[in-house]
Amino acid sequence: MTPAPDGRPIFVEIADQIAAEILQGTYAEETQVPSTNELSVFYRVNPATAGKALNRLVDDGVLYKRRGLGMFVAAGAPEALRARRRAAFADEYVRPFLAEAQRLGLSLDDTIDLLQKESHDSQPAQR
Amino acid sequence: MTANQPSAERRPLRSPEPSGIRLEGVTKKFGRKDVLLGVTATLAPGKIYGLLGANGVGKTTLMALICAHQFRSGGSILVDGVDPVENADVLRRMCFIHEDQRYNDNFSVGQVLAVAPAFYPTWSAETAERLAQRFRLPARTKSKKLSRGQRSALAITISLASRAAYTFLDEPYLGLDASARSIFYDELLIEYAAAPRTFVLSTHLIDEAANLMEEVIILEDGVVAVQTEVDEARRGSFVVRGREAEVRAMLGDREVLTERGLGAILSATVRGEATPVDHAFADAHHLSIEPATLQEYVAAIGIHSLSRTLDAGDAGDQHTSASRSRIEVSS
Repeated sequence: MTPAPDGRPIFVEIADQIAAEILQGTYAEETQVPSTNELSVFYRVNPATAGKALNRLVDDGVLYKRRGLGMFVAAGAPEALRARRRAAFADEYVRPFLAEAQRLGLSLDDTIDLLQKESHDSQPAQR
Repeated sequence: MTANQPSAERRPLRSPEPSGIRLEGVTKKFGRKDVLLGVTATLAPGKIYGLLGANGVGKTTLMALICAHQFRSGGSILVDGVDPVENADVLRRMCFIHEDQRYNDNFSVGQVLAVAPAFYPTWSAETAERLAQRFRLPARTKSKKLSRGQRSALAITISLASRAAYTFLDEPYLGLDASARSIFYDELLIEYAAAPRTFVLSTHLIDEAANLMEEVIILEDGVVAVQTEVDEARRGSFVVRGREAEVRAMLGDREVLTERGLGAILSATVRGEATPVDHAFADAHHLSIEPATLQEYVAAIGIHSLSRTLDAGDAGDQHTSASRSRIEVSS
């Protein structure tokens, strides 16, 4: 795993990846996630880095620690993650998208048309 | 490897809790040449360290001094609170693999691995067997007949199986191809999880190995220039690129480590972190700011200090801060 081009630390990348897996249902609520050492070997990073990723998710309330057992997915974590992602959606996707449209000289109407066309095309893929 | 003490058999080996390594003003001269000018650093037990810096900066020398393979000219070195020089108890807790590690020419791989446990009381036969298998080391081949890569694989096998509390790996993978290096990285982490210990790894393949490290120590001009967590070190420099006049305007008098030009475009590696003001300026003037990788940072420090050395005799030139290169292709 390499740091993202924007320079985000690797532990953030790993935390995001685990969060994405929780969102997809790979790790269900109240089930155990891999240990620091397992993550370290899998992502090929120092265990301290893997530990920081897990702690970040604990701080966010996504995971919780069961003493002597390991880290578990908190109840309601997928819903909380989805809500947070929705809140970030405008910032991370919509604004850069509109900025690029503007640079290319696309009007807002053109852009909306494009969105509608693309969403028709990709409908079956979406829930 | 050092000779085993006969008393080791009788005396129960009660290693103290490791307390780490303390270096205080360590110096080393070779004749009139100063290699280390005063290295001060503390290495905590149970961490993986990267020891980085340009060739000739003294990485190997520093490791050899800590392991008492060479004698320091000055300063103090304490490993678990005691000086390792001529201290067999401490030396048994250390394993040092050289860049060009050799074993007795006439010993086969199997024999080298059979003898090694005598030097390392914490030896894991299981680890040795697993690594020898993964690296496909030919047990009956004599050590002198091994390829460069096989010799490195044997050295790595011994270093990880030693489970020594302080394991030093100096450019351990000469001749190893990408898949063998990948086995090394995996096994380093597997072994570290199984038996935590201090690793000090020096390598030029920094970007490949940086994620394995918890802290880095960067040597520059005979002293420790940087000791910090890897994520911190990654923030130690950045690259700004754009039209030369604007790049220079943004940089002001900041320390430029290296710069490369292409026509009107300048790309500069700068020490420090880009501020929000820098980013705003860059956005307004179409400059790009990107984090330098750790490898770029270390390389830039190396080039920077080399160019200062070269400039040292040339006092007439006031403008010696950064190494410059311009790319010109004649057609």
